[in-house]
This record gives sequence, structure tokens and C-alpha cells, in this order.
Amino acid sequence: MRALVIDDSRAMRRIVSTALEGFGYETRQAGHGQGALDVLQEGYAPDLCTIDWNMPVMDGLQFVSVVRANPAWRALTLVMVTSESEQGQIVRALAAGAHEYVIKPFTPDALRDKLALLGMLPQGVAL
Amino acid sequence: MTLVPGSTRPVITALIDPATVEAIAGETWIALVGDDEVIVPAPGDLPADTLSAWVDITGPWTGSVVLTTGRQTAADLTRALLGEAAPELLDHEDVADAIGEIANVVGGNVKAALPGPSTLGLPEVGQAPAVRDPDDVCRLDVLWRGRPLVVSIQGTLPPLPTPHEHPYPNGASL
Repeated sequence: MRALVIDDSRAMRRIVSTALEGFGYETRQAGHGQGALDVLQEGYAPDLCTIDWNMPVMDGLQFVSVVRANPAWRALTLVMVTSESEQGQIVRALAAGAHEYVIKPFTPDALRDKLALLGMLPQGVAL
Repeated sequence: MTLVPGSTRPVITALIDPATVEAIAGETWIALVGDDEVIVPAPGDLPADTLSAWVDITGPWTGSVVLTTGRQTAADLTRALLGEAAPELLDHEDVADAIGEIANVVGGNVKAALPGPSTLGLPEVGQAPAVRDPDDVCRLDVLWRGRPLVVSIQGTLPPLPTPHEHPYPNGASL
């Protein structure tokens, strides 16, 4: 399975990518929503996107809205991974089309549990 | 609720206490810096050469969540955060990115503990913004690996002028 990790922090991209690779994902990274759209438009077809909220150029909520407006990307699973933890923000993200919401700081186990709920763990990953 | 004098703006200490900030920072450390990494609330003397990272919160309470530590501690934090992916020689961008993200995570969770709705800015790194109103500050001093760090949640709005009696009560003026 493939994942696109979208975060403006290189350190956080590394943390999320390392966790996903530990679950068996192949990962690519983008530093903001527009960069992620560029990767998708180049033809990269991930199963999962993890998306930070506050990013320059294009934020995570805008990215979710653009992806959800394009039928070609309907199968893409979108998980917000962000320090935005107000209830209202979570509702906004889910209403825009995100499937799940992981609040930073998180542990790899918490991310794995969310992916398991979505049926997005590669086969063979222990719960 | 304690208000900024002469206004309806609450000060930060009326909205969040150091114990909550400590819990937020502690969780952040374990998740980002490492399972075995703990911060201990204790005052310490910051070195002369410090680096700060902060995020701004704008809403019913407006201010910044500022993380300040020595440059060497910031570099060590970066190495701990990046783990095996840390380059042999860290550049300023590596350190700014890492401590900026720590400030971002702490700031996002502080924002969630405050009355909303509020917006969170992008992390900035440099010399800490000045304290505008000493009454509108919640400060947490901690030690990480025995070295001092400060988390300061500080209002960025200046105190409003305190209402005072007109010097000429009858409306007379010079």
C-alpha cells in the first residue's frame, strides 16, 4: 500500500513516514497541499494521505476539499494528522471529507489503531 | 475571572494553568522526542545564547505560545526528534523545523484548551517576541536532560489603558 504524507515540517513528515513504513506502507512526502496535488496529478496513486492542517501555500482543509471535488480521487483515504484539536475543527475536517482525525502528539500505536478502524492496515500488521 | 485591567479580555492565567501546560508539554515530549524523554518542572537558568520557536493564537485570547531554550539544547532536541534520520551536521533549517514543530504541537493543544474559536498561526523561529503585558503570561520552566527550557504563553496585545478619572471632573479643560 502507498501513502502520501503531507506536512510542512520535515521532522513530522519523517515521524509519520517512519510509522507508516513500519506498518508496511511505501511513502512519499509533500510539504503542503499544493505540493501534494502536484504529486497526485503526476500520477502517483496512494491509498492513503495523511494531512497536516496548518501549512503554507495550501492548507490541509483546502487540500481535502479539492481532492473530494475530483471523482478521480474518490477512493483515496484521507486522514488528518494535526495539532488542531478543537472539536469544531475536527467536525469541519470530517464534513469536508476527511475519513479520520489524529491529533498531534500521537504515538505510532494510535495511528495504527485509526488505520485499523478504516481497514487501511496492510495485511500482516499486528493489532 | 481575571480580566486585563479596563477591558473584558481575560488574561491567560484565568484560562489555563501551568499544570495543564505541563501535561501538554509532557505528552508532546514523549510522542515527538522519545518514549523515554521526560521533562521535569523545575526552574533553570537559560544560557545567554537562546533560540525560540512560537506559534500565534488569535481568538478570544490572542497571544503566542513560545518555546525557548539554549541553541545547543535545541540542536540536541532536533537530533532526538529526527533519530536515525538526523544528518551528521545539522543546519539551522533542521533545528528551526524541529523546534518549530514542537512549538506547533504544544500551541495547538494549548489553543484547544482555550475558549474558541481561535486560529493557529504557522511556527516562527528566532528571538522570542517581547512580553507585552506581564499579567498576561503563563510560564512553565522545565528541565530536559537537566537543561532548561521555558514554555511561555503570553498575550501579544498590550494592556489596555486603565480608566482614570478625568483631571477636571466638571469637564473643564485647559
